[in-house]
Amino acid sequence: MRIDYELSAPVRLSISMDAAGFTVLLGLSGTGKTSLLRAIAGLISARGTPYDGVPPDLRRVGYLPQGYALFPHLRAWENVAFALHGARHARRERADELLDLVGLRDAGERYPDQLSGGQQQRVAIARALAREPELLLLDEPTSALDTVTREEVLDELTGLIRRLKIPTLAVTHDWHVAAIADSLAVLSGGRIVQQDSPARVFAEPATGAVARLVGFRNLFPARIEGHEGGSVFVALAGARLCVRAPRRADYGAPIGIGIRSDEIVVQPDTDGASDENSLMGTVQGVRDEGLAQRVAFKSAVPLDILIPRSVASGRSLRAGEVVRVTLPAGRLHLFDWRD
Amino acid sequence: MTPNRISLAVAAAAVLAFLALPFVGLALSTDWSTLGFTTGDAGAIRISLTCTAISLAIIIALGTPLAYWLAHSSFRGKAVVEMLVLLPLLTPPLAMGILLATLYGPYSYIGRALEAVGIILTNSPAAFVLAQVYGASPYYVVTARAAFEGVNPELEEIARTLGKSRVATFRLVTLPLAALGLAAGVGVAWVRALGEFGIVLVVAYFPQGIPVKLWVNLQDIGIGAVYPLLWLFFLIAMPLPLVLGTVSRRRVRVT
Repeated sequence: MRIDYELSAPVRLSISMDAAGFTVLLGLSGTGKTSLLRAIAGLISARGTPYDGVPPDLRRVGYLPQGYALFPHLRAWENVAFALHGARHARRERADELLDLVGLRDAGERYPDQLSGGQQQRVAIARALAREPELLLLDEPTSALDTVTREEVLDELTGLIRRLKIPTLAVTHDWHVAAIADSLAVLSGGRIVQQDSPARVFAEPATGAVARLVGFRNLFPARIEGHEGGSVFVALAGARLCVRAPRRADYGAPIGIGIRSDEIVVQPDTDGASDENSLMGTVQGVRDEGLAQRVAFKSAVPLDILIPRSVASGRSLRAGEVVRVTLPAGRLHLFDWRD
Repeated sequence: MTPNRISLAVAAAAVLAFLALPFVGLALSTDWSTLGFTTGDAGAIRISLTCTAISLAIIIALGTPLAYWLAHSSFRGKAVVEMLVLLPLLTPPLAMGILLATLYGPYSYIGRALEAVGIILTNSPAAFVLAQVYGASPYYVVTARAAFEGVNPELEEIARTLGKSRVATFRLVTLPLAALGLAAGVGVAWVRALGEFGIVLVVAYFPQGIPVKLWVNLQDIGIGAVYPLLWLFFLIAMPLPLVLGTVSRRRVRVT
């Protein structure tokens, strides 16, 4: 489904995107993601297709706000039956079918405050499905879940959405959700700056803002020096880096270069300082992050390095230590540097 | 129990005793063997009950939309509107009665115009109801407004996205969720209307309801003569708000 919306308040947005399968809109908090969903649901005034000017009760959308907004005075089945018409027993029957569909047949008699976060979400989906929506809108679907159950709930949710074949637009700032989307759109500066498969967006973020949203912590302005075959040579603060990227090789052009924290390799020795993409530098600080180590590293540019346990085993970096790191040519990414 | 908890319990008990003391005093002072009504007491009860019922219906019918509107809209000058609602509440009852007499009395334009179509707003059942509505409606509007504001607006929005019109949303979501607060408002309005004395004294001395009749009994016969009617007054006034108040605190689910 094509979604084109223009908002002027509470934030200025100009959105143009496709919603097919499980589509995720990724954006920072406060950039208008919730406003977009509310606009599509008809709850705030906006211009756009579909549903231009149609009152909310006549739009066939299923909207799940953060926290799900189940009716506290109604039992689970009554929540699900809210949008249904007809005799009580017929509504009950249909509500039970929908609860069964989301795996909650036995929870019909319970009130929302007697359900877990994941169960509340499923009741809310069943309630939205009762309306037979053409489009599902999910606002931060993982925000009300604890991290332990998040993966599990997310898997069930996406499985259900794919089975139902209802186009779904989920907005989030959580790139873990973005990673499992069928299609990923990124919101920045009030518009969609990139929409593609998550693999493509994660591998080739179009801009620095997108890169930051998909988890890049090392982003620097750089300049292209030349190219040779499939490699581009980039000048970064005095260092010369080789990047495997066949496109964008205008000489002298300003460009952004980035690498993920966990793709920087800490070398076991300080020999070979002149090897390709090697940087010498000093460890500024080391912080345990669960089983991994996060290292603040000072070289020609400051780097954020994440060393997984599998790599770090046996060796622990200390502040003040001088080490050599390499930025693998295949792991460096180039993108527009405009923001 | 820690010393702190003990002193807290003692303080609370002292306040409760202070609050209950007048009622204990009344129970002890009443001469239960010769308890009997004086002439006109029955009529006063009838007047109070019918007029208060009518006033309450008017207050709910007019106050509910106003309270909902106040809870749901924001506009320039809303503070002025809020002050208008509070104005009758903040005006001393006797002063309010004088204002009403000035506005609706037999020598005013409005009074004369209404008299021409057969509505007399001085010393009439209509005047009695008018006085009660002025006295009690702000209490209902303020309470009902708080009740409506207590309903999460997101729930009302969700109801709309689930295909319900504004009216259906009000009936199926807003009203049930605000019901206890509204009930509390009704309870308070009932007591205020039934007990309205100051305004009634000025604009509707007749027909005599319970408060004015109590006053008359007190003046004409003495304090012993007011006890029977006073007991009945409590019996009529208190059950509704007490029950509503207790129920609203017991119900935890709808919050």
